[in-house]
Amino acid sequence: MKEGRGHAVIPIGAYTLVGGRNVRFVLAATVVLGLSACAPYGAPTGATLQGRQIFALWTVFFWSGVGVAAVVYALIFWSIIRYRKRSDRLPPQFTHNTLLEIVYTTIPVLIVAGLFVLTVRTETYLDRVPPASDPAVTLHVSAFQWSWRFDYEGTGVSIIGTPDHPPEVVVPTGQTVRIILTSPDVAHAFWVPGFLFKRDAIPGITNRFDVDVQAAGTYVGECAEFCGLDHARMQFTVKAVPPDEFRRWLERAGAGRPSS
Amino acid sequence: MNAVSTHAVPAPHRSGLLTWLTTTNHKRIGVLYMTTTLAFFLLSGILALVMRSQLYGPHLSLVDRQTYNELFTLHGTAMIFLFVAPFGLGLANYVLPLQVGAPDMAFPRLNALSYWVFLGGGLVIFSGLATSSGAGASGWTAYAPLSTTGSPGPGMDLWALGVLMVSAASIMTAINLLVTTFVYRPPGMTMWRLPIFTWDMVVTSLVILMAFPPLGTTLVLLLIDRLLGGHVFDPAHGGSAVLYQHLFWFFGHPEVYVMILPFFGVVTEIIPVFSRKPVFGYTGLVLATLGIAGLSMGVWAHHMFTTGAVVNPFFSAMSFLIAVPTGIKFFNWIGTMWGGELTFPTPMLFSIGFMLNFLLGGITGVMLASPPIDYHVEDSYFLVAHFHYVLGGGSLFAIFAAIYFWFPKITGALLREGWGRLNFFLMFVGFNVTFFPMHLLGLWGMPRRVVTYADLPGWAALNRLSTIGSWIMAAGVLVFLWNLWTSLRGRIPSGDDPWGGFSLEWATSSPPPEHNFARIPPIRSERPAFDMRHPDLRR
Repeated sequence: MKEGRGHAVIPIGAYTLVGGRNVRFVLAATVVLGLSACAPYGAPTGATLQGRQIFALWTVFFWSGVGVAAVVYALIFWSIIRYRKRSDRLPPQFTHNTLLEIVYTTIPVLIVAGLFVLTVRTETYLDRVPPASDPAVTLHVSAFQWSWRFDYEGTGVSIIGTPDHPPEVVVPTGQTVRIILTSPDVAHAFWVPGFLFKRDAIPGITNRFDVDVQAAGTYVGECAEFCGLDHARMQFTVKAVPPDEFRRWLERAGAGRPSS
Repeated sequence: MNAVSTHAVPAPHRSGLLTWLTTTNHKRIGVLYMTTTLAFFLLSGILALVMRSQLYGPHLSLVDRQTYNELFTLHGTAMIFLFVAPFGLGLANYVLPLQVGAPDMAFPRLNALSYWVFLGGGLVIFSGLATSSGAGASGWTAYAPLSTTGSPGPGMDLWALGVLMVSAASIMTAINLLVTTFVYRPPGMTMWRLPIFTWDMVVTSLVILMAFPPLGTTLVLLLIDRLLGGHVFDPAHGGSAVLYQHLFWFFGHPEVYVMILPFFGVVTEIIPVFSRKPVFGYTGLVLATLGIAGLSMGVWAHHMFTTGAVVNPFFSAMSFLIAVPTGIKFFNWIGTMWGGELTFPTPMLFSIGFMLNFLLGGITGVMLASPPIDYHVEDSYFLVAHFHYVLGGGSLFAIFAAIYFWFPKITGALLREGWGRLNFFLMFVGFNVTFFPMHLLGLWGMPRRVVTYADLPGWAALNRLSTIGSWIMAAGVLVFLWNLWTSLRGRIPSGDDPWGGFSLEWATSSPPPEHNFARIPPIRSERPAFDMRHPDLRR
């Protein structure tokens, strides 16, 4: 599978609802592919502008982690093998080495300082919700025990789900969708793994964030904050369609016909 | 073994239940503490096995939703409050007075009170199971308002009350350990000659004194909301749900260090002994530990990056920084092994397993310290993998290292080496087969605390693998129990010091006499027992 670049492609194996209940073969194939081609470094690449930034940052952290692990594991295994007991002599009883200690303190400081700089850059981009910008769609999302309600601002269109009938929310691709997230009862979290993004819905707090979905497709969404009995069934799907298709859908839905 | 060993006549042997119920001796209380926490470990391990069986495949219904929610709540609560943290305190109860050269803890009756309050708290938590509405089922974090208006029924009240009792018990023990260390050291035992385990318990106790009173406050506020009609955490009446999260994690993150610092101490005792070298960079190690304690009070909101209600960059920076003193310890351990003559009996195997597992938990910890990455993996199985690599692969492995290392000191008998190796091998393989796949499941989008999951590609296979791993781990624990049983039945005398130990507890008999030392050897370094055997090497 290629990364979706421009053309409509099923974004990431593990995240996409494959039509129908699909089979063991797909399952096994995706495990193999998922580790290599489809989901590099274990994570999906992100179907939104924001998610792609997160994926870029993840890539840096992934390789830094691999590097650090390789060095430390090598040192541990070297010590175990090279210095296993060979005689009854008492080994040299050295206790410290100030220069070495300064070096092995400084290097981690530099690594985390670098990671912090990259983190702040990405986060500044993500948390920017420009008040001046004009989102194509403003979506009021209410997370409740145990489903979701989506209200399209200024249209009167609402989608309300139940645990048995998870809602499907439709959004346009290539445009900014602003989500305004609240909860009337307990804490929940809005998570679309294909977007590599989640945000909590906490009573008393209103959270705002933007998503710009790049690739058309259907994405699984779920509640990520444990919220009681039916937490596991608090799911939804996001269907991203091209803008004109979205407009037609919204008009149909606004005219009172059921949003299929 | 050596001339200074005391072999004092044991106190008159008053066998029977009553002596255990009334004891104020630190060694007996330590044994009570450790065996009680191990019982809670077995119990919450069984809960975990039921959960893993339920997750063996998608859409299974071995247990229902409510039961599953009670299972993971009790599993987390018991592992954290009734096993890992109190095992450290129990071990310190036994070992710390011996290591500093004290005859007992500073306040023996407070010590006994602490144990009994702890036991009572544990029983109160589990007693929720006997109520008609079941045990508390809000997760071990018990976020309000799910834990207040969202959870009617006495199970949740009993949960809060039980945890309150356990936290009070921890505060008592912390005070006791601090006073014992500061006041009861014999001449020559300066602070800079304390064994690292003792140092780590001093720092752990300081963290407990900073973090547990806020926990008690939070639980009392929770009970006020639940029972007395308060609205502290109820935004509809001017309260704040986010306040609960702040208060809880202000305790909750330092608690992570309460659960890991003692076990840094354990492996830092064990690795030097089996490398036959002093610990590398003692001073830096102690300073790093103090650094962790300081920083641990300023990282709590990294559990709240996704709330949109905290200043993420500050808590991110603090969390990155705390990785540094933690990372330094790896170099201390490697530096200690470097150039040594290493042997690998079971305590050393578990210590090396600790390093291999904990490193991975540390690396994913740095990833989680970055808010954008956290936006994806927070509350997913990636997080579950992370903290199990810290507390399971880390603390749990060090606990087993500690048991194998100090069992001869406590009983005068050795655990069987062959069973020990099998125990380690099964647990190491089982642990990694269980928890490594969870990283991928989380990255792929599986949230934690779900009773079942969709049949998405790859999910069933990895969950199945994880469940099989949990059975391998369980087999390892069964081997351990068999080892305990068989080693206590057919005792192989260990002598006073089977390992060539360094710190003072190895300079007295095994088991030690009622008041530990008939005579204390001269203390000229942090390794008095070693110095005693090598008078030629005196620094």
